[in-house]
Order: sequence, then structure tokens, then C-alpha cells
Amino acid sequence: MDASELAVTARMARLTLSEQEQEKLGTAVEQMLAHFSHMKEIDVQGLAPTTHALLKENRLREDVENHADVSEKLLENAPEREERFIVIPNVL
Amino acid sequence: MDWNGVATHSRSAEKWKAFVEARQKDLGSFLQFDPVLGCVDSSPEGPLAGVPFAVKDNIAVRGFRLTCGSRMLRDFVSPYSATVIEKLLKAGGVVAGKTNLDEFGMGSSTENSALMETKNPWDLRRVPGGSSGGSAAAVASGQAAFGLGSDTGGSVRQPAAFCGVYGLKPTWGAVSRYGLVAYASSLEGIGVMAKTVDMTETVFSLIRGQDPRDHSSLPWQPPAMKKGPWRIGVPRECADVPMHADVKKTLEKTRGLLRQLGHDVQDVSFPTLDHVVSSYYVIATAEASANLARFDGVRYGHRTRRADTPEAMMVASRTEGLGPEVKLRILLGTYVLRSGFQDEYYLRAQKIRTAIRMDFQKAFEGVDLVLMPVYPVPPFERGSAEADPFSQKLADIFTCAANLAGLPALSFPAAVEAGLPIGMQFLAPPFAEELLFGACRQVEKVFPSPDAPGFPAGWR
Repeated sequence: MDASELAVTARMARLTLSEQEQEKLGTAVEQMLAHFSHMKEIDVQGLAPTTHALLKENRLREDVENHADVSEKLLENAPEREERFIVIPNVL
Repeated sequence: MDWNGVATHSRSAEKWKAFVEARQKDLGSFLQFDPVLGCVDSSPEGPLAGVPFAVKDNIAVRGFRLTCGSRMLRDFVSPYSATVIEKLLKAGGVVAGKTNLDEFGMGSSTENSALMETKNPWDLRRVPGGSSGGSAAAVASGQAAFGLGSDTGGSVRQPAAFCGVYGLKPTWGAVSRYGLVAYASSLEGIGVMAKTVDMTETVFSLIRGQDPRDHSSLPWQPPAMKKGPWRIGVPRECADVPMHADVKKTLEKTRGLLRQLGHDVQDVSFPTLDHVVSSYYVIATAEASANLARFDGVRYGHRTRRADTPEAMMVASRTEGLGPEVKLRILLGTYVLRSGFQDEYYLRAQKIRTAIRMDFQKAFEGVDLVLMPVYPVPPFERGSAEADPFSQKLADIFTCAANLAGLPALSFPAAVEAGLPIGMQFLAPPFAEELLFGACRQVEKVFPSPDAPGFPAGWR
């Protein structure tokens, strides 16, 4: 993978790579992709893809009220808050 | 060793806590040790009354931190407990603490933890395996009666093997994952490590079952237990995998022992074995890139100090908070899912996954269990050149097959060579965990889990 491909991928993944990381991670990604290329050797014609080995169908839970009451505790983990709101940098 | 009441009877509790704290200095197994907090929701009665257990730090326990071994979540405190924790507390268990892991479960040595270094109780220069290395070290050293881990590609079985204890990866969906921080959802599950088959089975029977809070969990549906002797298949392709002499020797020794015990040990064919690592890493990284998108510094976790826009804040928070192995896997996963590359990587890997499942289906038409090594080499030294991150990934070959096929697998101590434990594993058809326990119990009678140096005699 060349540097520009790596940069596009990193942007999609919302990551910035330092020059050192570009080199190190770029090499590691390349090494894995080279390994993945062996998948071409296997004949997959007629095989359906498996997304889950054992999951057969979607399951819905009963529509019942549930008072987990964890919202305050969840908010306590917010990096910055004002009362019940989470603060982020200005959008506009 | 009798663990009942150890964490709750004051005399044994003091003795046990002092032991854990002394061992913690050498081993670094716990990221947070707090049995007082771990007692809060514990029932005074039950099959595990007063039994302290270790919890991998990617499983939520109310009031404890949930760091995942990452700078990203270093200060995160969990507001609720995972279903498995609630069940074990109800059975009287006590959470001893949270154990170290490779960041978000990504690794095979626990060296990828951003927070602590964990050592193998058999040899402090060596790694405990991973990613559930802290739980394995805690159980093998006698710091806890059992440990919980998560197994996405071998992360329970491999550290269990490296530390000389049992490690169960249950059937996919058999145990609720509510409260487990997601890495690769179609592959992973919560598993158990313990010094005996009995303890492993007791804990599994307490935590299994469908959970309304995990829509991917499945009802417990065991097949009728077949009485032995069993037909046990060893994939002949294992011979093509480069293996350390001690592992090869242990495989032969185990094959011989099973024959002596009256079982019919035969070769089976597993032609896709050579492709499991590729298929596994494409699927695991693709799922990881999606699951870890939630760590953006907005609602919880690390947030950068300097950013002018929400977008810049997310990018900088992720860049600062995530470690190199996690970044590598996110990048790989993002790449294989990019439009234009999906057919070549992701779709192809999923089709190979089908071929792997079919190989197992075919094997289980002729045998009851499959026997394989857990890892091609014995526990290695920290930072060793032969165990660079790429080699470690290739070495997942024997473990990640069970995850791709959703099968239960149980690793067991099979030898001590050159002072280090070597593990083997049985794989079984879906929901046939009972068969795994049965087979391991027979091996255990001949070769029980060996005690690591310094293992305590008891707490009375």
C-alpha cells in the first residue's frame, strides 16, 4: 500500500499518523495484506459468505419498561459536561 | 484447593489478600485489586460463596474501572455489571479485581497493554500469553479461584495454555456478552480459566444461557452426551505447521495417552487450516474497525486537550488514546472494507469461513472431538524477536479456527517441558461443552494442572 492509500485509509478511520507511524504501520499493513493475498489460492465458487456461524435470525425482546437508572453514572464518564449536556467544541 | 469462603472469612481473607498483594509486585496480573468493592453485590450463599475470581478488564463490573488495557479508557468507571458478573455474584462469587490484557483484546502476550506489564508465573522473563494474560497469571499463581476472559481468536485458551491451567472458549452465543466491550462480534465470547475441570465446568454452567440483554445470545441446547470411548480426530494438516519440538512432542504424547485411555485416535482432514489466519484477520479487523469507531472522545474516554472542531477533537482523541496494535487493526479493517476492495478481502474471507465450517462439519461426521495444539511455541520471552507481532498473528492458526466456526474448545495442560507448561485443546460440535469436560477430566486424572512455582498450599 503506498503512502497516499495509507493516508486515505487513516482519514476514514479518523486517525492521524506521525511520520514514524506511517512507516511502521504502513509496513505492518503491507505485510498483512501480502498474507491475505494467499486467499486467492482457494476456490470459493458456489460458497455463500458466513457472517455468523450460528446466528440464524434476529431476535426481538419483549416490549417492556426497564428502569436501568444509569444515566447519571454514564454522564459522570463524560470528558466535559454542563448539567445534563455533554460539551464539545463549537460545530459552527 | 478449597476456595469456599476464602474472600469472606476474615482469617483466610487476610492471608489471601496479603498473598495476592505480594505476588502482584512480581506478576502485574491485576490492574485493579479490590475484593471489598467486589463483595458489594455478592450473595452470602450459593455454590461459589466467598470464592474470589479475576475479571479481564474488558468485562464490566459496577463500580470498577473498565480500561480494556487502553489509555483511551484509563479512567472509565463502569456504571453497570455484565450479565456473567451478575450471575456469578448471585452464586456467591466475589470479584477479586480486574486483570490486565492486550489493549482491547488485541494480542497474544499482554505486551500490548498500555497500562501494565504482566509476567508468566512459571518464568518472570516470559509473557503470560494473551490477550487474557492477567486472568491466566492470576489463576495459575493462586491469586484467584478462577478467571474470566474473552476469546476472539484464542485469547482465553492460549494464555491458559501458557500458564498451565484450563481455558474454555464456549460455543458462540452460549454465554451472554452484555457488558463485554466489543472487538469482533461474530467471533468473540466470554470464557473461563481455572485450575481444575470441575471449577471450569461449575462456572460455565452458572454463566451460560440466553440473555434478554444480548440479542446474539442463544438458548442452551446441548446434544445428547455420547458415552466414551470417543473417536478423536487430529487434523493431518497440523503436521505442515512449523512447530516447536516441545509442542510436537506434547501432541504425540497426548495422542498416545488418549489411545491408552481407550479412545480411537485417528487422522482427520482439515484442508482449509492454511487459510484460517487470513480469513480470521480480515473478519476480525473489519469488525474491529466498526466496533472501535465508538471511541471518539465525545461521551466518555480520553479527550484531547487541543481541538477547535468536533471532527478534529475525534481524530486527535483517537490518535492519542489508541495504541499501535489497535491502530494497525483499525487501519487494516478500514482498508478491507473500502469500496473496491470488499470482494477481494472481506467477502472472500467470509466465503473461506464457510469452507472452514464445512471442514469441521465433515470432520464431526466421523469423530466426536478434534484434538489440536493451542499454540505452535511454548511461552516466549518478553520482547523476543521470534515472537514479533506478525509471527504472533500467524501463530493463532490453531485457536482462531474454533472462533470462525463458532465451536466450543477447551485447552488443557498437557505437559511441562523445560520448566514451561504446554497446552493442547479439544474442539467439539456446537453446545457439546459437556463432551469437552468429559474428555479433559480423563486427561486430568493422569496429568492435573501443574502448580506454578510459589503456588499456595491453602488459606486456612
